[in-house]
Amino acid sequence: MLIRLRGGHVVDPATGVDGVADVYFEDGRIVAPPQGREPDEDYDVSGHIVMAGAIDIHSHIAGGNVNSARLLLPEMHRSIRARLDGTPLATAKWSTFETGRLYAQMGFTTVVEPAVAPHHALHSHLELGDVPIIDKGALTVLGNDDFLLAALRERESETAIADYVAQTVEATGTLGLKCINPGGADAFKQNMRAFGLDEIVPFYGVTSRQIFKSLQKATQTVGIPHPLHLHMNNLGIAGNIDTALATIDAAEGLPMHLAHVQFYAYGLEGKNAFSSAAPALAAKINANKNITVDVGAVMFGDTVTISSDVLRQFNSLSGAIPKKGVIFDGDANGGGVVPYAYRISNYYNAIQWAAGLELFLLIEDPLQVFFTTDHPNGGPFTTYPELFALLMSAELRAQWMERLPADVLEMTSLPSIKREYTLHEIALMSRAGPARLYGFTDRGRLGEGAVADIAVYKPQKDKAGMFRNAAYVFKDGENVVRDGVVTRYTKGKTLRVRPGYDRAIEKRLDAYYDELYGLSRSIFDVPEAALAGRSVYAEVACRN
Amino acid sequence: MSNATLDGKSISSEDAYEKAAEILQAANFPLVAGLGADVAGAQAAILLAERLRGAFDHLASRDSLADLEVVRSAGIFVTTPNEARVRADLVLLVGPGLTGYWPAIFDRLALDKETVHGGKTKRRVLWVGAKRGEAKIEGVEVETIPATEAELPGVLAALRARVGGRPVTLPAAAAKKLDAAAEALKSARFGVAVWSAAGLDSLMVEMLQGMITELNATTRFTGVPIGGRGNATGVLQTSAWMTGFPPRTGFGRGYPEHDTWRFEASRLVESGEADAALWISAYSGEAPPWEDVDIPLITLGPPGSAPKHGLFIAVGKPGENYDAVEFAQETSSMVLRRASAPAGLPTVAEAIAAISAKFSEDLPC
Repeated sequence: MLIRLRGGHVVDPATGVDGVADVYFEDGRIVAPPQGREPDEDYDVSGHIVMAGAIDIHSHIAGGNVNSARLLLPEMHRSIRARLDGTPLATAKWSTFETGRLYAQMGFTTVVEPAVAPHHALHSHLELGDVPIIDKGALTVLGNDDFLLAALRERESETAIADYVAQTVEATGTLGLKCINPGGADAFKQNMRAFGLDEIVPFYGVTSRQIFKSLQKATQTVGIPHPLHLHMNNLGIAGNIDTALATIDAAEGLPMHLAHVQFYAYGLEGKNAFSSAAPALAAKINANKNITVDVGAVMFGDTVTISSDVLRQFNSLSGAIPKKGVIFDGDANGGGVVPYAYRISNYYNAIQWAAGLELFLLIEDPLQVFFTTDHPNGGPFTTYPELFALLMSAELRAQWMERLPADVLEMTSLPSIKREYTLHEIALMSRAGPARLYGFTDRGRLGEGAVADIAVYKPQKDKAGMFRNAAYVFKDGENVVRDGVVTRYTKGKTLRVRPGYDRAIEKRLDAYYDELYGLSRSIFDVPEAALAGRSVYAEVACRN
Repeated sequence: MSNATLDGKSISSEDAYEKAAEILQAANFPLVAGLGADVAGAQAAILLAERLRGAFDHLASRDSLADLEVVRSAGIFVTTPNEARVRADLVLLVGPGLTGYWPAIFDRLALDKETVHGGKTKRRVLWVGAKRGEAKIEGVEVETIPATEAELPGVLAALRARVGGRPVTLPAAAAKKLDAAAEALKSARFGVAVWSAAGLDSLMVEMLQGMITELNATTRFTGVPIGGRGNATGVLQTSAWMTGFPPRTGFGRGYPEHDTWRFEASRLVESGEADAALWISAYSGEAPPWEDVDIPLITLGPPGSAPKHGLFIAVGKPGENYDAVEFAQETSSMVLRRASAPAGLPTVAEAIAAISAKFSEDLPC
């Protein structure tokens, strides 16, 4: 069936379109305007903005740690209204079903869950399979696993490490590799309470720097399109700007993605010895085109922090609001779940909020900076519309700044920044850029052949309102949202890569699991049969 | 032979599914209980309860909730049995009957072997409140702290007090023994407590976790919980991502509400609030806990577990008769168990799908 969206303002940086145009799609794909054929369905979207479906590159939506957070905080997600027909559990707050509905409602059609522990990959995929409508992807976490650390200690070849990386990514069905406080989780098991870039993991004799550099290299070698996704050391600590700057230097010009960098943009200025160092970090990123970042912006409100940086989360426990948490020493990284409340009246929280916006506004190239709140760590993904609005209006930012503690404004450059994002830049950051970052060639754009994942917004004075409730959303060409309401479920796919490697590593890993655990390694497999058709894979091509 | 019975008499599968659909659709507030099922079975059962605006509970909810009450009021430190196996230089076993709750416990923890990660060390093993004659592990010298079930809460409290350097009123010999144990816990590098909530109550788990929190001020200490029977942990996890809540959740208002008293299966049945029940016990055929209640009942269980009354539909045993995903105690993760004895029996999910296919069209989807 041929469908036309007629007369909308198309904003599609990937094809260079920024003006009134028609968009045609058929059988789930965008097609060129057909000659001599009338569309079977025609939507008049004149006066609307038409973009590709948005892509969230880093959002904790599934897996054991997210589920622990649900169980830890029943008081945080009481439901309040019944669902509509045809959308089971769509109003069950914080359920996988609600997650799919809420993302779709905002015009997001692809979301990447960034922390899959290899031994819990099946659990993550089971949850992702129960997220309706949107397509999903994930990143596999390495960097605190004994096999890798021991290989580095024994100075094994880069080839061996590359094979191990490729095998693990393939076995866990993800889009690439994330490294979280490299070595820090293991060091915490050995009772270290802080862990910096050049500190040594006891027993292995390797530094954090060595660990992530080996993984960065391996990711490039095996041709995974997404560069190593790094959660650096010293998250959330005053003065950690030094760690961030040193880490960028350590990348030595090779591609690397730094996650939720707002949490590393802190200086030591002022009477509280806590200030925004976002300008310095943004300048460094502007000067290093090999680096991409997502912001991990803070938005005020109650939330919960969920992280595989178990050392950091243990240290956060004393500040938990409410005072409880889960600390899980996993087979490698594990995780920590600590509830928290960001308050506009709190000096530190207000600095964090400002630093996030500064990064968005001071990093010049929208293809280097991505839209995240590190959901739910800086705030839930449902705050994205407010963030879009803040980026698009200096006046709105000024209104918010009036409500901050007065001394905050002396410790951030935000008041002096007048930049306002255009829709073109919003589309670059939330559509074209993420597709490039993950090597997706079939989405993030409205060009011929792309999947017909399309978001249509009705412009209004309240920009947040415009992005919160899309006028229409099409997923694979099917209309799933109308006037901000999800009318039906479709089943999304799970995107993954399959990097090639020397299969000899499998025998070695089999022997390793037998020896260490007295278990067959296959117990940790993620067979498609186990997903019972709920998680259908689609493959993203590797570079070689 | 048909695999379905009505009041003990054989009926065809088709008739059974038809009858089951009638019973569930006619109910005002149906209960889906037992839930001894694999993940796919639990997913189907929870979606069914939601569609019917009923409630669901698991047969071992009491045990899951004993741990969960601690999690959601105070928090928890946990690790995997495999991490304990490779790293724990001290293991504190808590309470009686651990080998009953988890028969493979000592194969998995391998306490007779040295630690691997963080360096090779011989382990120290303490057992507080073991049953008489229970504290024997081959190749391991077990230090025991005796406590009857009635004494266990007090002994745990005293141990926690001594770890924190607080005074206790105990006879000198007992205090000396506890002091030695407290000293051992504090000098562990990576200590792990192992308990089963089936043998403890929430306050004891909270006492244990409170002690672990205090131990982490100076060293590393964590815990391994032994989950409940009938895939209790797997169903708990599934319930959490699907609804946000653990079992004992109802959908009367069209959205999930969780209440450990209100949606407890026996209470719902005995009070008459639930007016039909689907009882699922695919692993063991365990019978419902309520007694002498005449409620329209559909049972899904392994062959041979048919009750005298009500409708029974035989299903396969998960992981034995069919490939099934469940929570594995040995890895503390979801795993696929391949069928060891495939049988031509429906899975729990298939049986529920077959029932749902018989609903009349006026039931909203």
